Amino acid sequence: MAICQFFLQGRCRFGDRCWNEHPGARGAGGGRQPPQQQLSGASTNRNKGFGLSENPFASLSPEEQKDEKKLLEGIVKDMEVWESSGQWIFSVYSPVKKKPNISGFTDISPEELRLEYHNFLTSNNLQSYLNSVQHLINQWRNRVNELKSLNISTKVALLSDVKDGVNQAASAFGFGSSQAATFVSPGFPVNNSSSDNAQNFSFKTNSGFAAASSGSPAVLGSSPAFGAVASASSAISTSAPAFGFGKPEITSAASFSFKSPADSSFGSPGFSGLPTSLATGPVSASVPPAFGGGSSVAGFGSPGSHSHTAFSKPSNDTFGNSSISTSFSAPGSIVATDNVLFTPRDKLTVQELEQFQSKKFTLGKIPLKPPPLELLNI
Amino acid sequence: MLPANHFGEKKVKMSLFGTTSGFGTSGTSMFGSTTTDNHNPMKDIEVTSSPDDSIGCLSFSPPTLPGNFLIAGSWANDVRCWEVQDSGQTIPKAQQMHTGPVLDVCWSDDGSKVFTASCDKTAKMWDLSSNQAIQIAQHDAPVKTIHWIKAPNYSCVMTGSWDKTLKFWDTRSSNPMMVLQLPERCYCADVIYPMAVVATAERGLIVYQLENQPSEFRRIESPLKHQHRCVAIFKDKQNKPTGFALGSIEGRVAIHYINPPNPAKDNFTFKCHRSNGTNTSAPQDIYAVNGIAFHPVHGTLATVGSDGRFSFWDKDARTKLKTSEQLDQPISACCFNHNGNIFAYASSYDWSKGHEFYNPQKKNYIFLRNAAEELKPRNKK
Repeated sequence: MAICQFFLQGRCRFGDRCWNEHPGARGAGGGRQPPQQQLSGASTNRNKGFGLSENPFASLSPEEQKDEKKLLEGIVKDMEVWESSGQWIFSVYSPVKKKPNISGFTDISPEELRLEYHNFLTSNNLQSYLNSVQHLINQWRNRVNELKSLNISTKVALLSDVKDGVNQAASAFGFGSSQAATFVSPGFPVNNSSSDNAQNFSFKTNSGFAAASSGSPAVLGSSPAFGAVASASSAISTSAPAFGFGKPEITSAASFSFKSPADSSFGSPGFSGLPTSLATGPVSASVPPAFGGGSSVAGFGSPGSHSHTAFSKPSNDTFGNSSISTSFSAPGSIVATDNVLFTPRDKLTVQELEQFQSKKFTLGKIPLKPPPLELLNI
Repeated sequence: MLPANHFGEKKVKMSLFGTTSGFGTSGTSMFGSTTTDNHNPMKDIEVTSSPDDSIGCLSFSPPTLPGNFLIAGSWANDVRCWEVQDSGQTIPKAQQMHTGPVLDVCWSDDGSKVFTASCDKTAKMWDLSSNQAIQIAQHDAPVKTIHWIKAPNYSCVMTGSWDKTLKFWDTRSSNPMMVLQLPERCYCADVIYPMAVVATAERGLIVYQLENQPSEFRRIESPLKHQHRCVAIFKDKQNKPTGFALGSIEGRVAIHYINPPNPAKDNFTFKCHRSNGTNTSAPQDIYAVNGIAFHPVHGTLATVGSDGRFSFWDKDARTKLKTSEQLDQPISACCFNHNGNIFAYASSYDWSKGHEFYNPQKKNYIFLRNAAEELKPRNKK
């Protein structure tokens, strides 16, 4: 048989069906595929992450397309169920068990949320808790809607999420318990890339790393399975820039520049209504949940104006734009969007601080305030 | 695409409830004059002087102590101890306080000490004979889990915290014997020597082996798609820990064996704590699984959920044994006593619907149920 020239160039459109010979392709389980069409972003690390029996998406044999379709349909269905079931919304999600989490969902346990509530109750700042929770709910809802509607960019991001990315469980980048102490918010808002974890630590002094070696040996030695390994270890050795935007795994629309954080898609001043007293007070001492800051009462259904909570089944209208505006009317007056170029660190909420410290912003959690001077790495 | 419900739910008929030994049927009011009061539809024994706020954890005394003593930690920052007599009478014995809500409690193997973990980032050791409690552990964030480890060559307390560490404490020293890093905040854990399982945020799941000294044995990819909530280790016929049950917020429990002969077949998940049962066409209400406990003798398990029900299951026969009536509050914790005769479950708000449904005036209960009969395994066909 003739050797397929296109295959050699890496662009044979017929794949397994090709009449010409593809050297090395036989018996490799389809390992060698021409990167193609539909999934332009999802080319690297094909063999990882998707394990089991399916082939990575780069090749487009009909079976694979079917699997991909099934996966996406599964996600849509799961989102619908999630919305209608009244189950806990602050949870990570993965479309297939044993697969990595999809980005855009935060993991907050009921106990963590409740503790936040109690903390802010005692400091008399229930309103900011309410706001924070409302904000989180909105984020969740936006993400769910995004996944339900599945436009092209979401799809691409999703598929690369599922393939490449980041099983937090598998990768361990803790660097010693002392590290956690210096952190205001050890919780990770995003399941995005494990390099986030590493990045979070790269700002602290190197003492963190020294501690790591004396800490649990198993952690660093074990090799996290996914492609994230390389990025993590590079983060350790070099102090990578704070705000470098690695590969934008999230939708391509997420090209936020941290210089103008007000460009976040949310418009409404979610977190900026932070009384400074709070920021220094219980926030830093309190429990990891990502939203930190602000008062503690959750606007599940927005303060007072709706009888339905986030967890009830009724339609999305409850949380339509109208509710957002009403719930934010009060904080509007407290908004203290800084006119200065940088925010002092103690004026940031826990979550905002975390966002600034991670490698890239989480869609939906982009801080509305400028970053603190200390974190900039110019 | 997922193997769905492996449990033969269709086999369970409502008549099952009526045939069990001596327990009430539907949730009619038990106080005669009042309208249907569903706080105790199962007509179980109510523990006296129950805590004033949500109960986060329950633990019965080990077999080394004669009799049964129950410990409960609550969001009122207290830990209470009752003696449970065979007659069912509960006598409050003692109480200790933390400066933050108590998230987990456990006993030492000899029954002389109780260990308590709290949101105040500390863990304490409560000596019951002297009724003194001292701090034995310190974390940088609330301590979510606490377990006593008794190995042939060492004994220690294991604490898991939201600061993403797992620490091991010799109670005599203020420095931990060992610190292991977790990939994320510790959400739940269980220990049956020589195995320990920790489930963390972001669907992390790690198994440790405890021989000689604790070390990580394996990281497991989560068999569940949502947030991990509770975990319990089960044993094989030779009484060795062989796997665990993991519950999530999505009304599902995964049964996972560590080294099964056939993982694809032996490991499975089942749906539970959902409103519609087998009717999958209508949208269901899905509730979190708040706790899982294995019967120490039969090896069958109990799950309790935010829906205010408890269920008993036989994981080997893959069937449901019983589901309770619905209580008017979520069931936030459960445990069996050392010989499996008593099943304790706590009825209190678990924050599953946020702050709006929190009613500080609502009474919190701990119920005790005779578990000797209902948890007998179903004979495998």
